[in-house]
Amino acid sequence: MSVRQPSSPRALLSFRRWQAPAFKRFNRLGLWTHYYRRGVLRFFRFGLELLVGPLVSSLLFVLVFAVAQSERAAMVPGIDLIQFIAPGIILYAIAHTAFENAAAMLVFEKMEGMITDIQMAPLSPLELLAGYALCSATCGLAVGLLVGGAAAFFVDFSSFDASLVIGFAVATALLFGFLGTVVGLWAERWDHYSAVEGFVVVPLGLLSGTFFSVERLPEAFREWIFYNPVFYAIDGFRAGLIGHAESSHTVGFAVLGVLILGLALLGWRLFAIGYKIKP
Amino acid sequence: MEHRTVSPVALSVRRMGPVNWRGLWTLYMKEVRRFLNVFTQTLLAPMVTTLLFLAIFTLALGGGGRQVGGVDFAVFLGPGLIMMAMVQNSFANTSSSLVIAKVQGNIVDILMPPLSAAELTLGISAGGVTRGLMVGAAVGLGMWLFVPLQIHAPLFILYHALMASLMLALLGMIGGIWSEKFDHIAAVTNFVITPFSFLSGTFYSIERLPPIWQTVAHFNPFFYMIDGFRYGFIGHADGSLGTGLVVMALFNLFLWAVAHRMLASGYRLKP
Repeated sequence: MSVRQPSSPRALLSFRRWQAPAFKRFNRLGLWTHYYRRGVLRFFRFGLELLVGPLVSSLLFVLVFAVAQSERAAMVPGIDLIQFIAPGIILYAIAHTAFENAAAMLVFEKMEGMITDIQMAPLSPLELLAGYALCSATCGLAVGLLVGGAAAFFVDFSSFDASLVIGFAVATALLFGFLGTVVGLWAERWDHYSAVEGFVVVPLGLLSGTFFSVERLPEAFREWIFYNPVFYAIDGFRAGLIGHAESSHTVGFAVLGVLILGLALLGWRLFAIGYKIKP
Repeated sequence: MEHRTVSPVALSVRRMGPVNWRGLWTLYMKEVRRFLNVFTQTLLAPMVTTLLFLAIFTLALGGGGRQVGGVDFAVFLGPGLIMMAMVQNSFANTSSSLVIAKVQGNIVDILMPPLSAAELTLGISAGGVTRGLMVGAAVGLGMWLFVPLQIHAPLFILYHALMASLMLALLGMIGGIWSEKFDHIAAVTNFVITPFSFLSGTFYSIERLPPIWQTVAHFNPFFYMIDGFRYGFIGHADGSLGTGLVVMALFNLFLWAVAHRMLASGYRLKP
C-alpha cells in the first residue's frame, strides 16, 4: 500500500517514506480504476437511463414490427420476421451503447476540462485507450445481455451457437468501443459527436441487414452491402442465434478483426500524440 | 460648461403596452438561434434518421406491393414518420432548452427580464413549434424524393402539424420545468414520448391492434394527430376527423394552462 500512495498526511511530508509509484509494464491499478471505477461504475450509476433506455427502444422496435408485419410475405422462408430482426436489434443496441459511451464520455470530459484528471494519472497511451474502449465495450455487452435476455422470452432462438454469438457480440462491442474513443477524441463539441452518431453510426447500424434480408434490397445495392463491415457482424450474430447466414463467418471475423486492430492502432497513436487533448 | 438637458421622457421607465413585443421576439429568436446554430444536429440528423426508418420499414414490411389504408405501404408510412420527427424535435427543443438553462443556472436570464408568464410560454413554445415545423418540412422534402406523397387536404396537414408541434413543445416545457437533472428528462423522453410516438399508429393502421387497444387509441391525442396528419396526405383516416380536431385543440389548451401556471407560480424555477 505504502508504495503506491502516501498513507497519511505525515507520510506526504516525509520524503524518506514516500516513493514514486513503481509500475512494471502495466499500471494495473490505474487501468482498473480507469476501466472499472470511472467507466463501468459510472455507467451503472445511471442504470435506469442507460440500461433501460436501450431496452425500451429495442422492445418498441420489436413490438412495432410484430404489429405492422405483413401476413403474406415472410422475410426469409421458414423464419418468422420477429425471429429475423431480433438479433439485429440486440446487436444494434450493443453497437450504439458501446459507441455512445466512449464518445460521450470523452466529449464530456473535454468540454468540462476533466480530461486532465485522466491525463495526469500515470497511464500510458495504450492504457488510456484500453480504459475507454474496453469499458464502453463492457457496457455495450451489458446492454446486449439485457436486451437479449428480454428478447429470449418471446423469440425462439432455437439454434443457439455460443461461439458465434459471443464472438460477434464481443467483436462488435470492441469495434464500436474503439470507434467511439477515436470519435470522442476528434469531436470538439456536442454537435460534432451527434453528427457522427446521426450520419455514421445509426445508418451503419440500421442499414446493415438489421431489419431486412439481402434479397430484399434493390439489385444495385446488393453488392454494396458486402463492403459494409457491420453487415458481417449482424449476419454472424444472427447465424449464432437463429442459424440463418447470408455471408461467411470467416470473412466476417477477418473483416472485423482488421478494423478493430486498425482503429485500436489509430486510437493508440492519437492518445500518444495527445491529439486535441494536449495543448 | 454647458449642462446637457435631458428630457424627462428619456429617463423614465420604458413603457410597454399590454404585450412586451420586443422581449417576446428576443426570447423567440433566442430559442430559434439556439437550434439553428447546431443545425446538423437539430435538422439534418433527424432528417437522415427518419429517411433511414423509411428505408428499413419499407424494405422489411412493404414487400410484395403491400397496401395499407388503400395506398402503398411507403405512402402510408411517410406521413407518420414526418409526424414522429416533428413531435420528437419540438419536444427536444423546449425540454432541453429549459433543463440546460436550469442546470447551468442561466434560467435567470429568462426569469429576470420583464416577460410575463404568458409571454414566456408563448416565446419558448413557439421556438419548439418552429423547430418541429422546420424538421417536418426538411423530412417531408427528403421523403418526397423517394415516396410519391400527394397532398389531399392541405389544411389538415397544416393544422395537425401546428397542433402536434405545439402540443409536444408544451409537453417539453412542462417536462423541462419538472426535471431537475438530465436523467429526469431523458426518462420522460425514453418512457413517455418515444413509446407514444412509436405506438400511436405511425407504422401501422390502428385496425391491426386488438380491440381493447383500439379503444385505448381513441383516448390518445398522439393517435389523432398522426391520423389527421396522414388524412391530409392519403385521404383515409382510421378515427373520426372532427374528434381529432377538437381533441388536439382542447388538449393544447389544457397543456397551455398547465405550462402557464407552472411559469406563473415559479414551480421548480424560482426559490
